[in-house]
Amino acid sequence: MARYRIGRLRGDKRPPTPVPRAAGEGGEAAARDSRPRPGPSGRVDRVSRPRDFDRPRFLRLVVAVFLVWTFAPIAIVILFSFNAGRSLQNFDGFSTQWYSEFFANPQLRESLYASLGIAVATMIVATILGTMLAYGLVRARNRLSPVTNVIMLVPLVVPEIVAGVTALLLFTQVGMELSVTTIILAHITFSISFVTVIVRGRLSALNREVEEAALDLGATRTQTLRLIVLPELWPAIVAAALIIFALSFDDFVLSFFTTGETPQPLPVRIYSSIRFGVTPTINAIGTLMLVVSVTAIAIALALPRVLGRRGGGVLIGRDAA
Amino acid sequence: MSERRFAGLVLLPGAAWLVLLFVVPLGITLAISFGVTDELGNALYAWNPENYERILDPLFAPILLRSVGYAAATVLLCMLIGYPIAYYIARFGGRYKYLLVALVVLPFLVNYLIRIYAWTAILSDEGLVNGILADAGMTDDAVRFLNTPWAVVGGLVYGYLAFMILPIYAALDRMDPTTIEAGKDLYGTRWQTFRHVTWPATFQGVLAGSVLVFLPTVGDFVSAQLLGGPDTYMVGNLIQQQFFDANNYPFGAALTTVLMAFLLIFMAFYLRSAGRAAREARV
Repeated sequence: MARYRIGRLRGDKRPPTPVPRAAGEGGEAAARDSRPRPGPSGRVDRVSRPRDFDRPRFLRLVVAVFLVWTFAPIAIVILFSFNAGRSLQNFDGFSTQWYSEFFANPQLRESLYASLGIAVATMIVATILGTMLAYGLVRARNRLSPVTNVIMLVPLVVPEIVAGVTALLLFTQVGMELSVTTIILAHITFSISFVTVIVRGRLSALNREVEEAALDLGATRTQTLRLIVLPELWPAIVAAALIIFALSFDDFVLSFFTTGETPQPLPVRIYSSIRFGVTPTINAIGTLMLVVSVTAIAIALALPRVLGRRGGGVLIGRDAA
Repeated sequence: MSERRFAGLVLLPGAAWLVLLFVVPLGITLAISFGVTDELGNALYAWNPENYERILDPLFAPILLRSVGYAAATVLLCMLIGYPIAYYIARFGGRYKYLLVALVVLPFLVNYLIRIYAWTAILSDEGLVNGILADAGMTDDAVRFLNTPWAVVGGLVYGYLAFMILPIYAALDRMDPTTIEAGKDLYGTRWQTFRHVTWPATFQGVLAGSVLVFLPTVGDFVSAQLLGGPDTYMVGNLIQQQFFDANNYPFGAALTTVLMAFLLIFMAFYLRSAGRAAREARV
């Protein structure tokens, strides 16, 4: 194949004009020989995307295999959660018995409520603290802020097991009995930084002059914060809150280290039942948890768009008036 | 009130929380790692460096080495699998680019525990694969997939591959595709172009991905617990045992401290390398 081509136009990002492929080598050569025609922009429309010769077919195969390998196990869990039988090998027909079994089990129901409660409490406290921390870090440039910045970033890279051990040791050393409360405290600690990072990104992009204008017009600090800054940050805050909800709801390691006897959050419960053997109920719990976190993340992704558009509209409307 | 004062006050609650519930516990862990246990198994503060000497015991040292080995193998496999995938998405994704990125991220919304559990359901003796093999008449006895290093490393790769794909994808997406064409125009073979153009341009992405995969895998205990057995235990399992079975908090704290110190050194090297690369890119 011709590997060395000279004099091609660069930087044309538009997709190549469709070229008949079926003819193979000869067809491609013919297509290359055809004279370049001006594209819709009037410029000569040349192909800048690499042709098949550096697009090994095996890459496409790798991606296909990867996607099957990634999604097959999850699909199997979902499929077998609706299995009428106990088997993990044969699908014996559709049934929702494992779901009814889950909701009929008072212990598991208690775990579900515990998980939801922990996630909601973590979400509320971590979002408030993390947002305040983000504002402080961006606006307070004093000697302590670089140190605070490092302290804020380290929890993001600490392995979960280290987080779990340090939290467990803290609670045992101060003599706190392990319970849902200790789980919430630990979850908040390792969620604050996520909120701070997400909100800070949006905060640094804000236009300071609007705030200064508000202050010049006689608004107090808190009024400026409430009327100018918060409405702009709202989409980021809501997104961060929902991500924290999903992370907390899904968390296993940290909960495992800080949980008391009862009620245990759902992932801890799953873990202990897996160790006693594979049961179809776990498939149902897994599917339910998947639905909860996918919903939270989907809302987190969709809400900033909805809120952002409205928030921007309000601000523009006020400016215009 | 000046803006700085005000912002300093706003910062206070979050910072105080992190100091009290993150920094102080790190100190407590360090202190207990030198402690002893009484007859009841309660941890007492003391000066007892033996906890650290014990880590080198032939009973435990192999587990630490194994953890690093498994994590390194995971990083390498993620690199080998992740690079082609990232390359395909960044260069040939076309209008499906963002869909493909979403498909890479999507499984991470599913609980890690559940995803690892799915593999136990697939690979166990009564699992799907053995069922298919038996139905096809290819095997008489169930093939043992679980309790092997392959299963544990496989679980880790499955769990953390996206952390490798995303940074490499970002690096490939940033790089100027015309430099690849230039390499080819200058008579570079496909391999030479990759070696001298694409790889250097995306090396920082590969490095970032390696760190992102290495950090959580070296401390992971779920994969080894569910897909492996005592022969494949990692340091995470050992730590977990100290707190839940052996009830030896000081030794567990010492193991945790060593793990944390090891990862901090690892991070420091990475940050230095990344910082140097960023400076060179600016010049």
